Amino acid sequence: MQVNKPEDFTKNVSKALAQPDLKKIIRRTTDKAETKRTEAVANFPEFENARSQGQKVKDHTIKYMDHYLAEFEKNALAQGTIVHWASTGEEASKIVLDICRQHKAKKVTRSKSMLGEEIGLTHAFDNSEMERIETDLAEHIIQLAGDPPSHIVWPAMHRSREDVVKLFREFHEDPTYSEEITDLVRSARRDLRNKFLTSDIGISGSNFLLADSGSSCTVTNEGNAELTITPPKVHIVTAGIEKLVPSMAHAVPLLRLLTRSATGAEITQYITFHNGSKRPNDADGPQECHIVLVDNGRTKMLAEGMEEMLRCIRCGACMNHCVVYKHIGGHAYGSVYPGPMGSVLTPHLDSLEVANKQTHACTMNGRCEEVCPVNIPLPKLLRSLRAQSWQKKYEPLTNRFVVQSFAELAKRPRLFQLLSSCGVIFMKVFSRKGWIKYMPFTSGWTRNRDLIEPGSTTFMHQYKKMKKAKSGGA
Amino acid sequence: MSQKITNAGRTQPNTIECLNISEKKVGLFVTCLVNTMRPSIGFASITLLEQAGCTVEVPELQSCCGQPAFNSGDDEGTRQIAYQTIKQFENFDYVVLPSGSCAAMIKKNFIEVFKDQPEWLARAKHLASITHELLSFLVDVCNFEPRGIELDGSFTYHDSCSGYRSLHVYEQPRKMLSKVKGLDHKPLNSHSECCGFGGTFCVKYSDISNEIVAEKVKNILATEADYLLGGDMGCLMNIAGKLNREGHKEIKALHTAEVLAGLAPQILGGKDAS
Amino acid sequence: MNKQKSELSRTKIFSAIKNAKPTVTMDVKTIQQEAFELLKESEFARPKLLSEDATQALVLRIEAGLVIGTSCEKISTLDDLPNSVNQFFDKHSLPQEIKVQGIDKLEKLDWEGISTDSDIENDNTVGLCWAEYGVAETGSFVVHSSPKMPILLNFLPLYLIAVIPKSKILHYMDDYALIANEIAKKGETPRNMCLISGVSGTTDIEGVLVQGAHGPEVLHIIIVEDQ
Repeated sequence: MQVNKPEDFTKNVSKALAQPDLKKIIRRTTDKAETKRTEAVANFPEFENARSQGQKVKDHTIKYMDHYLAEFEKNALAQGTIVHWASTGEEASKIVLDICRQHKAKKVTRSKSMLGEEIGLTHAFDNSEMERIETDLAEHIIQLAGDPPSHIVWPAMHRSREDVVKLFREFHEDPTYSEEITDLVRSARRDLRNKFLTSDIGISGSNFLLADSGSSCTVTNEGNAELTITPPKVHIVTAGIEKLVPSMAHAVPLLRLLTRSATGAEITQYITFHNGSKRPNDADGPQECHIVLVDNGRTKMLAEGMEEMLRCIRCGACMNHCVVYKHIGGHAYGSVYPGPMGSVLTPHLDSLEVANKQTHACTMNGRCEEVCPVNIPLPKLLRSLRAQSWQKKYEPLTNRFVVQSFAELAKRPRLFQLLSSCGVIFMKVFSRKGWIKYMPFTSGWTRNRDLIEPGSTTFMHQYKKMKKAKSGGA
Repeated sequence: MSQKITNAGRTQPNTIECLNISEKKVGLFVTCLVNTMRPSIGFASITLLEQAGCTVEVPELQSCCGQPAFNSGDDEGTRQIAYQTIKQFENFDYVVLPSGSCAAMIKKNFIEVFKDQPEWLARAKHLASITHELLSFLVDVCNFEPRGIELDGSFTYHDSCSGYRSLHVYEQPRKMLSKVKGLDHKPLNSHSECCGFGGTFCVKYSDISNEIVAEKVKNILATEADYLLGGDMGCLMNIAGKLNREGHKEIKALHTAEVLAGLAPQILGGKDAS
Repeated sequence: MNKQKSELSRTKIFSAIKNAKPTVTMDVKTIQQEAFELLKESEFARPKLLSEDATQALVLRIEAGLVIGTSCEKISTLDDLPNSVNQFFDKHSLPQEIKVQGIDKLEKLDWEGISTDSDIENDNTVGLCWAEYGVAETGSFVVHSSPKMPILLNFLPLYLIAVIPKSKILHYMDDYALIANEIAKKGETPRNMCLISGVSGTTDIEGVLVQGAHGPEVLHIIIVEDQ
């Protein structure tokens, strides 16, 4: 599959809308997620309190980020974890690859993390002598298909069962010839089992970093994180610096919010805290543990007043509830992070210049903010990115001209009223039987819908006339 | 003044205000879409406010609430528009708009562009505190109930996003419409899901907007209602325009105020409601 | 070389944070106090349990089908365990083979003819583990890695039995976090602490839930009352 670029957003959208089944495929996942989340919230009357607590925990940690980072580092080192720092994604990827090379790794297993995608780790391995094995079932599917992820929780949601049947038959050593989903999952289980056990390095992300212990926490339903991390000699964690929380007790409210918001389940099946390397005589576990702490635009967000976005716990609820995402899907955004959260993040990871169109692909309906488990004001953040785009003149000139001209008029009410009256007369010319099917300068509207006929004259005109008549009569 | 500022935010019923409402002067902000496209909504608003006991005035020097500039990221343009809106409306007891999104613009967004101008920020906050969306104002502040209005048929209701999410308008229109004789409510599936209008969005991303409104239309048709009602001209224009393009003449889109003011028969009969 | 680069990035990150938030206090006591205050909200921000009694709440949760792929039973003493395991074999038509975690209290039981040393990679084997804790809120059992607790025992078998001592069943995840904190104070934090709430599952193909994605497909929890 050809990988979309963020700067080609408009083109990507047309491509997505031209795919006849895409909408159906997306809705299969998002509708279910939406229904199940609604149920989960209804069954948890304390949800609003949890949400407020979760937000406060994240805000507290962001407020004292340097303190907690230093504390995390100290405690991680004390556990024998080797701590690395990376300013950019490229640096982070290089650190990971270098560790693998030092250990002469041939096979590397990876448990899904969006940060890994963000820093280009998957791509970096593909250009190396090492074999990368994705162990999350969805990541396994998109690795076989050569696709980028289309959702942060269900990265392979754009692939149908038929696609998976084909891929597994082509790539699995002992494939199933059944088309039953259960058999397909078993086929992946057989294929991945030996790979787990013979891997040289296990790479994971982290849902939470606990400052007071230097631990990282993984959250999965498949249990692939533990299977990825435990057998190899070396465990490498890659994590964004915003994943910090003060302690395990502070991660608990966020765990309550995360799964309910993501899949509608009350909790994921596997929550594991990883505390450094194997203890002497432990029955299993890696002998060496590394953690790569990644900035990649996060401190920039802090500096640019976007710190609310650093609360994000990557649940995907905003995209599941986004009317735009539901129609264009994840690939159109041309970024690892699609939907509302992606439209805020991508300008900081790539640049606003390449990713400003996404910030405009939003109706400002507020649904994403309404369902966000940590109250991120996504519409407000998108709007402030639009304001930055405006100042930096990234907006196409024609749009700028139209908006500016309108604003120029609107600040002169007399002229505005006059031109409104002219507008009404102009529109009347094109209207037939109460409707306008086509009119110059309105193709954006009339391409897809009719425009109602305006009033005979403007309200203001009629109102003034009425008032005059009244006072004249009196 | 200072007390009014602290009252900014949610519209809440206030019994003391209810009693004294007749002494209150209401400034009607008509909004540009109503001004040009559907004057009858403006006249319906005046009728309803007067029935509710308010003294209504429509300042002639009004234009737009500034959403197109604000949502495009043009903060300076927004400020320029806001200056004169504030000047025109800040001395009323209440400012009322027959639109959730324009009301939300004044109530929630003006303050965003005056962060660095304390004097204007205070004035914007004051204006926010006295500004209301029409339908919620009628119920929450005026305790208004329509009387003697009849309309045969059934309606379904589209909650506009700004009204529903920013201003918590939901029960108020339904409550008033339940008093209209002969009118049944047919609930809309995904009633609060965006219709795809989104101001400049619908022309900027016309094709995405089209997909969204097509879905809204599907849900509306499934109700088999005779009327589509709502509180925002933008959404109504968008949905009605799509209904008409698809040839669905059987369902008519009306602003809730038009129905409550008893103007529906006239409008449906094709006459200008003024 | 890499080390230097990493140091440089470290300095960059810290100074970027300082520049972005110049007014923030670094008084550790204040920060700790603020962090502590946040935890007080948990009491009002967590779900009601199905019973005030933690064991009962855990059982009801599993019986209500809220813990994926999981069943449970209570036995009064540990000596009843082999019998329960035998019934589990019967129910799932499994050969009498089980991989028992290598701790004394499990190994010294009378396993009557059941083979207790089998290959955990075999999908037909049943794994049997001793949980450190249970958590009623989430229907979880908790295992800690140790010389006698291979983490993989909980992940490789297709069938898993977890034994939870009744006295170790906690109400909430918060209660477990407190215990983890106590363990840390003693310097005894294990490499892994796993909260397991159900079986390995996936919805990655067309949103259909399949159990036994990589790990167990069936989980049976046995609560031992006299432990």
